[in-house]
Amino acid sequence: MADKEKVYSRYVRKVGTSDRLAQWGRMLGGMMSADGKPEALDDIMVLDLSYANYAGLIAAGLLAEAGAEVIKVEPAGGDPARVVTPFGVHKNETGITFAAESRNKRHVMLDFGEASDREKLGRLMAKADIIIETYAPGEMDALGLGYRQLRELNPGLIYVAMTPYGHTGTRARTHGRIPWSDLTSQAESGLCAILGDLPDAPEPMNWPTRAGFHAAGYAVAVEAVAGTLAALLFKRLNGKGQMIDVATSDAYSSCVGFPPTIGHLWKRPRPRYGTLDYGLCPYGFFKCKDGYVAIACFRDQDFRAALKILGKWDLEEEWRHLIDRITDNVDKVRGLNKEIEAAVAGFTYDEIFGKFSRYSIKAAGSKWRGGGLPVTTKMLTAEEVFKVDHWKARKTFTDVKEHNFGVLTLPVAGKMSETPLRVKWIKTELGADNDYVFEKYLKN
Amino acid sequence: MHDDYFDFVEQLYDTDQITAKPRALEGLRVLDLSHMIFGPTAARVLAQYGAEVIKVELPFTGDYWRSSTYWGKYWKHSNPLWNFINHSKYFVAIDVKEPRGREMILQLAEKSDVVIENFSPGTVEAWGIGYSTLSAKNPKIVYASCSTFGQYGPFRYFPGWDLLAQGASGMLSATGYEGTDQYFKIPDFYGDFCPGLYSAMMIVMGRNDRARKGKGQYMDICQAEILMRALPHFSYFKSMGEDIGRTGGHDPAMSPSGIFKAAQGAFVALAIASDAQFQGLCSAMEKPELGQDSRFSKALDRLKPENAAAIEQLVAQWVSGLAVDGLMSLAQTHGFPAAPVRDDLEISEERWRQERGNVVVFDDPMYGKLKLESTTVRLSATPARIQWLTRPLGYHNRYIFKSLLGLSEDRIRELEKARVVGYWDYRVGQRPPVYYDIENDPIFNYQDGNNG
Repeated sequence: MADKEKVYSRYVRKVGTSDRLAQWGRMLGGMMSADGKPEALDDIMVLDLSYANYAGLIAAGLLAEAGAEVIKVEPAGGDPARVVTPFGVHKNETGITFAAESRNKRHVMLDFGEASDREKLGRLMAKADIIIETYAPGEMDALGLGYRQLRELNPGLIYVAMTPYGHTGTRARTHGRIPWSDLTSQAESGLCAILGDLPDAPEPMNWPTRAGFHAAGYAVAVEAVAGTLAALLFKRLNGKGQMIDVATSDAYSSCVGFPPTIGHLWKRPRPRYGTLDYGLCPYGFFKCKDGYVAIACFRDQDFRAALKILGKWDLEEEWRHLIDRITDNVDKVRGLNKEIEAAVAGFTYDEIFGKFSRYSIKAAGSKWRGGGLPVTTKMLTAEEVFKVDHWKARKTFTDVKEHNFGVLTLPVAGKMSETPLRVKWIKTELGADNDYVFEKYLKN
Repeated sequence: MHDDYFDFVEQLYDTDQITAKPRALEGLRVLDLSHMIFGPTAARVLAQYGAEVIKVELPFTGDYWRSSTYWGKYWKHSNPLWNFINHSKYFVAIDVKEPRGREMILQLAEKSDVVIENFSPGTVEAWGIGYSTLSAKNPKIVYASCSTFGQYGPFRYFPGWDLLAQGASGMLSATGYEGTDQYFKIPDFYGDFCPGLYSAMMIVMGRNDRARKGKGQYMDICQAEILMRALPHFSYFKSMGEDIGRTGGHDPAMSPSGIFKAAQGAFVALAIASDAQFQGLCSAMEKPELGQDSRFSKALDRLKPENAAAIEQLVAQWVSGLAVDGLMSLAQTHGFPAAPVRDDLEISEERWRQERGNVVVFDDPMYGKLKLESTTVRLSATPARIQWLTRPLGYHNRYIFKSLLGLSEDRIRELEKARVVGYWDYRVGQRPPVYYDIENDPIFNYQDGNNG
């Protein structure tokens, strides 16, 4: 963008702040590259024993991005997650999503049916700082390689078990052999029930539906790694390891937290709300001439600003107060939503963006605080996200060589000044690092 | 399996022992300058593992989410949903724009290990409480700046939150049915909560690094990038030259997969990853011939869209005659992924979630009993726990100002008079419940030996 940077905050524009902002800017400039910088977890060894389970696979991937030595251990035949891939797209029986989550990992294959391989696995486990495993509760224990046995050999071990219903509670016994999938985790944890069109829409649009990505697996992986690193800090300071039991069937509700409190206090479940919001209206993406644009009005002043810009001031009197625009009565707010839909349809995205941002910048600079801050953005597809200069400037995407796909492009999220996250390599061949790992960890 | 395995694990997780066990982040002090959901969630995760989290709000205004709720439904003059976001924190109200307020915040930050903020980029620097000021006084600080577009790049000053981040990251474009105008956002501010968890993960990563090297660091935590990290769509597009697109309830990476209608109109989800799981499904369906069918027997063939559609039609027919419990018992016996579509009410009532402590009924001295989510991540030796629900605006002023900053009662009164520090106004969500005797609350009126 050749234009001067758009600044919305009244504070950032204040005279006398430029020195501090310049110093901060220099530091940010230094954060844009990971070259030559140390890694946060490069003293940690992790065994990734996930099996047909992306929650575990992603959790291990997050640790690998922070520099941990993550060794993915697959049984004979490989991890079925290799063939969990959109439309069956693969190279040499390795899918794209598996390759992407293999970032910075080592690959070892061991036949759990062979006594000598089981012994090797046990010796690796005895040296691990963290183990992530997703087998049915009791399965590793039956092999003599569960937490009960390992904690004697390796008291500092952090043993993370990720299964649909966990290792404790009645469901562990009655449903413990049901394998993981992202779709079933979304459904069981309360997401699918509130995704989909309004009850009076035609079938199957009004059915519960799924988030079109690993919404449950990713959220629970991130939450599990946060807990694992808290346990790792405790181990660094106190020397003591522990078991971490994660039930992935609580993935969504554990992430957003609302379902149990809403169910408990309201005594009834929410219906599906289509593209409406459970809080306010208008709050969502609306179709404009050339795409879909966000119209989201938190406060009365934001609503007034949006009405002025969209030429719908006639709606102001009926919908003036926030209390009118809460969506407890869906039939009532649908009228307002339709009016906004009709108005937005007359504009291009650039028209709306231009008007909104000019208004916001003026309002942010004004002494009067009632001007509102109408903010918008466009819905983008993956293809369109790649074209955005902002992400190029931030180096959000990394290209990594991989022998099946040639080059894989991945987003890396979260910038750290001292120990940046990074993707160093991707390899996927089954058992590719057997020699390296056995030499390094099992020599004596 | 050894029969006693479950007894071993249950003992490891004995819920009666939780309060007697240590906390993983005991001794970690966090200054939470954030508001709404994204930043406060990061701080809440640290609080649940035992960090001392001091949440700073503006006097007489407070966090905007205090008075927000769904459908206008309040509970005991507060927003019931706010408790999940801010439980177990200390609530102080200091005006950062007053020089003496800024000084107090800097003093608190000097005594802290972590600072979390989610103002629009540059704001904390402009206020003089940013990393460049703080790191000079406290080089051990882990400073997390959370924002929608990041602290760097041409779009950084653009405000945003959950909805905008879902749109800008590509996430929104992934959900719904092909050929319709409806793109469903992930509800309940997933685009704030999930990045909040990710921020907590990064902060504890930084604290681990500090344990090794003695030095803190700065974190530019960009919400939209964290949502992108969840999407395989970028790698897929770059390699295949096309978008994955929207596939409704069907997961294009698993076959068969979908949401199906079972007996009595109940919805269930079913998704098959491995060939072994597929063989299990075929035996449950009592159709072993499907397991031998060359279109279906191998995952990579089963995933081809025409084959997936064919097998899913057969599964839909089969499921339509099954009760949910029957399907689940077949899934357990034959080893394939299946689950009922659970709603809010079922999640609040299901026993297994409460047995594990994922969902808890917390009895709070101010608010009484509330059912809320704890976490599904269960640490055996240092379990997460809820210590109290939320508190009115400025409730811990005296406690924190006296015990941590060493201020006297007279000094606090002076700051109150100048409105540098303050309390609630009468708005719902800020004030205590009407039945509560705040005037005799020992924490709100905290006295300590030195300062009275």
